[in-house]
Amino acid sequence: MLKIYDFFAHAKSESLWMAHFCTGCCSLEMAAAMGPRYDWERYGYLPTPTPRQADLLIITGLVSKKMLPALLRTYAQMPEPKYVLALGACSFDGGPYNDSLSVIKNPTEILPADIFVAGCPPRPEAIIAGLEEIKKKMKAGIPSAASQGGLWKEMEF
Amino acid sequence: MRKIKQLLENFNTLYIEEYKTTWVKTKLSTADDLLMVAKALKEHGLRTIATVSPTDFLEENVIEMNYFFEDLMTNRNCWLKCDVPRELDECEIESLTPLFKGANWHEREAYSMFGVRFLNHPDLRPIIVSQDFYDKTPFRKDFDWDAHDKNTVKNMQKIVDSFKAEEAEADKGIDAESSETVLNWGPTHPASGPIRLKVHCDGEDVIGIDPDIGFVWRALEHLVTKKDFVGAIVAVERLCFMDNVNSMTAYAQAVEEIANVEITEFAKWMRVLLGEVSRISSHAMGMGGFYNALGLHTVAMWNMDVREFFLDFLESYSGARIATAAVEPGGVRYGLQQNMLDELQLALDKFDATKDSVKDIFINNPTMKMRASKQGFISNLDVQDYSLCGVVARASGVKIDVRIDEPYAAYAEIKMDYVTQKDGSAKDRLINLFEELEQSVDIIKQAKRHIEEKIASGEFDPTKDQMVKVPKKLPRGEAISRVEWSRGEVLMHLVTEEKGTSPYRLKMKAPSFNHTMMLDKLLAGQTLSDIPLVFGSLYICQGDLDR
Repeated sequence: MLKIYDFFAHAKSESLWMAHFCTGCCSLEMAAAMGPRYDWERYGYLPTPTPRQADLLIITGLVSKKMLPALLRTYAQMPEPKYVLALGACSFDGGPYNDSLSVIKNPTEILPADIFVAGCPPRPEAIIAGLEEIKKKMKAGIPSAASQGGLWKEMEF
Repeated sequence: MRKIKQLLENFNTLYIEEYKTTWVKTKLSTADDLLMVAKALKEHGLRTIATVSPTDFLEENVIEMNYFFEDLMTNRNCWLKCDVPRELDECEIESLTPLFKGANWHEREAYSMFGVRFLNHPDLRPIIVSQDFYDKTPFRKDFDWDAHDKNTVKNMQKIVDSFKAEEAEADKGIDAESSETVLNWGPTHPASGPIRLKVHCDGEDVIGIDPDIGFVWRALEHLVTKKDFVGAIVAVERLCFMDNVNSMTAYAQAVEEIANVEITEFAKWMRVLLGEVSRISSHAMGMGGFYNALGLHTVAMWNMDVREFFLDFLESYSGARIATAAVEPGGVRYGLQQNMLDELQLALDKFDATKDSVKDIFINNPTMKMRASKQGFISNLDVQDYSLCGVVARASGVKIDVRIDEPYAAYAEIKMDYVTQKDGSAKDRLINLFEELEQSVDIIKQAKRHIEEKIASGEFDPTKDQMVKVPKKLPRGEAISRVEWSRGEVLMHLVTEEKGTSPYRLKMKAPSFNHTMMLDKLLAGQTLSDIPLVFGSLYICQGDLDR
C-alpha cells in the first residue's frame, strides 16, 4: 500500500528549490548548470530569491569569516525539511585557500552538508549529479545532516 | 616623460629613472615632500592614482609606499616611492585623497592591511578585513596568523556582534515622523553576489550608499607569499574566475621581467588567444548580469549558450573549463593541437550565428534604452579622478586600453582600435560591452590565423615552443606589470627577495575596487529601484573587489 508520507517525500524531492545565495566562486559553475546546455530545471531545480521558500542551501565554495553569519542566518530562515549541498574543495577543507586565514576551513563542521561535490570548481554535470543524490536522500526519508548536529547549533548568528 | 623628470628634479629624490616605455620611477628622500610632489604631478596632468601599495621590509625596518600616478590622456605614468617608519605610532603619512578622489579606498586598504595611518584622510575606517582584524596589521611580515587563528570562535562573535549593533542603530531613525533607515542590499540579494550595500534611504529615496565589502576576502596577496612562483598562479587566477587567463598573464609577465626571461613568439600569441577567449566568457556573463539585474534572464541564457562553446575550447586546451591554470611564468602551460583549434572554430561560428539576434533584440532594445540611458552617468573627468578603467571608462569616451597603450604579449601586432561610446550612461556601458565582444572575436580570428600560418610554415612548433625555463630562485628585484583585464586595467606590483623562492609581496590592483567606489556618487538622490541597474552596469565582480 502506498503510504501518504512517501508521496509527500516524493513530491518534495521532485521540485527542489534552492536559496539563491552564493558564497564563492563555484556559483559560476552553478550558473552554468542553470544555463541552456545543462539546464537543471529539467530535474525540477529552481533558484528562489527568498530562503523562506527554499528546500536546499548550496554552499558554493569558499566561506569567508564575514560570510559565515549570513550563511547561517539564511539556513535558519529556511523551513524544514532543509538540506545542504556543499560544492567544491573549499567547502570541504578550504581548498586552494587552505593557507589563508580569512577563510573558514571547516564550513561543513559548522553546517554539515548532506552531499559533497568534488572539484575546483565542480563541473555542472557533477553539480546535477550531487543534487540527484539529495533527491534520493529525501525520497528515502533520511533526515538532513545539519538537523542531526553541527557546530551551528551552539553558535550565535 | 622628459617634463615629468624635470619636475621631479626640483625635489629631494634618491634616483629618477625611466622604466619601461611609459613610466618614470623615482624615490623621495623624505615622505614629507609627498603632498607637494603629488600636487605638482596633478597640475602636470597626472590626475589619476592607480593604487597605493605598501611593502613591509622587516630587516630595513621601513614600510615602503608605492604610488602609481597615471595620465590617462597622454599615457605618461609615474611610479613614486617613499619610506615611512615601521613602528605603529610613527607609521603615518599625508593622505592624497583630498587631491585624488580615487585614492580613498586604496588608502583605507593600506591602513587595514599594514596599519599605515593617513593624515587628513576624510574617512579612515578599515575596509575589506573582517571585524576581528580591526586595529591589527594582517599583511605585515611579523603578523602571527596562527595565534590569530586560535581564537576563531571569539573572532566570529565580534563579526556577529558588530552586525547586530549596526542593525539596532539603523532602526533608530524610524518613527512616526521619519522613515530614514539603512537597508541591506546583499549579500543574499539574487543580483548582488557577495557584497553588502548599506543603503541609507528615506522611503524610496537613496541618501547615500556605503558598500560593505570583504565577503569573499581570501587574502590572495598574502596567500601567494606562501607558494612558489609557479604555484602562485593558483591564487592569482582566482582573482576572478570569469576571466582568469589575463590575470595570470599579468603575474607571469612580472616574474619574467625579474627573471629576465624572454618568452617565445608562440607563447605570446597563445596568451593573446587564451586571453581573448577568457575575456569573451567574462563579457558574456557581464551582459547577462546587466539584464539579470533588470529582471530579464533570457540574455544570460543566450549568452551562456555561446559561452559554453568558448569554455569547450579552454577545456580541450587545459582540461578545465574555468580554473585553467594555463599561463605560467615562462610561457603557456600546454602545446597546441589541431583539435583544439577546431573547437575554437566551432565557438567562433556559434558566436557569429547568434550575434545579430542578440544585437537586434537586446542591444537595440527600446525598453532597455529608455530605462538605462538616463541612469548612472560617469563623466570623462570622473574616470580620471576615480581611476576608472576598462569598459566603464571607455563607455564615457576615454580612450584607454592597455593592449594599445602599452602592448604586451603579441598585441603590438594585432590590428585593433579603442571601442568607445560618448555619454557614459548605463546603456552605453552595455553597448560597449557588446562591441568589445565583437572586437575580441576579431582579435581571436587574427591570432588564430597567424598561429595557423606560422605552424604551417614551420616557424612555430606547437609541441615544444610553449615554455621557456624560468629559474626557481629569483634575484632581488621588483616589477610592475599591466594588462587589460576584462573589467579593466590590472596592475600587479611584484617584489622579490635575493634567492627568493616565493613572491615577497604581490599587490594586485583590480578594477572593481574603484568602480564600487562610484556607487555612492552615482546613486545618491536616485531611488531604490535604480540600484540593481547601476550596480549591474558597472560590471563588478566581487572576486577582484575583495581579493
